[in-house]
Amino acid sequence: MVRHRAVLLVFRIVLGGLFVYAGAAKALTPLDFAQNVRNYQLVGQSLSFIAALILPWLEILAGAFLVLGIWRRGAALVVSALLVFFIALTVVTMIRGLDVDCGCFGALDRKAGLGVILEDLGMLYLGLCLLLGGGPSPKRDGPSSD
Amino acid sequence: MREEGRVLRQALALAALSVLVAAAVHVPLIRRFVRGDFRQAFIQAAEYPGLRLITIEEGEELWRTGGAAFIDARPAGTFEEKHIPGARNLPASEGEKRIPAAVLALPRGGPLVVYCEGGDCQSSLLLAKRLHAEGFEDVRVMTGGWADWVQAGLPVESDFPGRRDGQA
Repeated sequence: MVRHRAVLLVFRIVLGGLFVYAGAAKALTPLDFAQNVRNYQLVGQSLSFIAALILPWLEILAGAFLVLGIWRRGAALVVSALLVFFIALTVVTMIRGLDVDCGCFGALDRKAGLGVILEDLGMLYLGLCLLLGGGPSPKRDGPSSD
Repeated sequence: MREEGRVLRQALALAALSVLVAAAVHVPLIRRFVRGDFRQAFIQAAEYPGLRLITIEEGEELWRTGGAAFIDARPAGTFEEKHIPGARNLPASEGEKRIPAAVLALPRGGPLVVYCEGGDCQSSLLLAKRLHAEGFEDVRVMTGGWADWVQAGLPVESDFPGRRDGQA
């Protein structure tokens, strides 16, 4: 697990930036994203709509907090949990044989498949490094013991 | 343990903040949703004048009565694998360039039902607009698409021998 501060800073900026971009692309076209969510055929029309409104802002806020260094580990937990969910969703979608756009980066979409899973796994590694390797904030909790 | 609890509280606070921001930013959309604007699909019917958006049930009714010609907007390979029995394949990308003579020969006044894959109806909407511009007066988009048709257990057929079946 990477613990070097400079490397973790780069991880925060890269991962946070990607999440801000992905969230903004969806928040700008909420109806398109709602249709993307609906296409996965896991939830109905109402839940797809609610998820499509909230999820992009969760990505934007968690990404921005990571970049800015606010609530770093909380933001890393949100990002990592989202990535685990996205990976599971893509695997289930592939097993079900559905041919849907992943809805990951707004207009830069491609089909939900192995490429998306590998990409998410790469981002999940960064997220877990930040969650587990970042340690608690020295200002509040002193040196990390993990 | 205290640190884990703090991280979890931060994550939950982020989630709550996202709900608040989403609710504040999307008030007009939420109002429209409550009014029932997006019950069938997340598209704005006003952007597609002349077209009608129909449900899978309405599409099934038209299919069973033989009251409409069905146009499948998915790519040829996917269509050949399985499609709605009797549907004609006109991939949206091809339809943008030219409409085949076989489709142009269909009655201009009779309903055409256009569908595409997985409820992702951008391609069927684009093709439907193209057909409407070509002079077809009654073009309907089955917004649930192929995925909902299959999920409803409605009949499908394949262009490959031995794959024709009554159910999806």
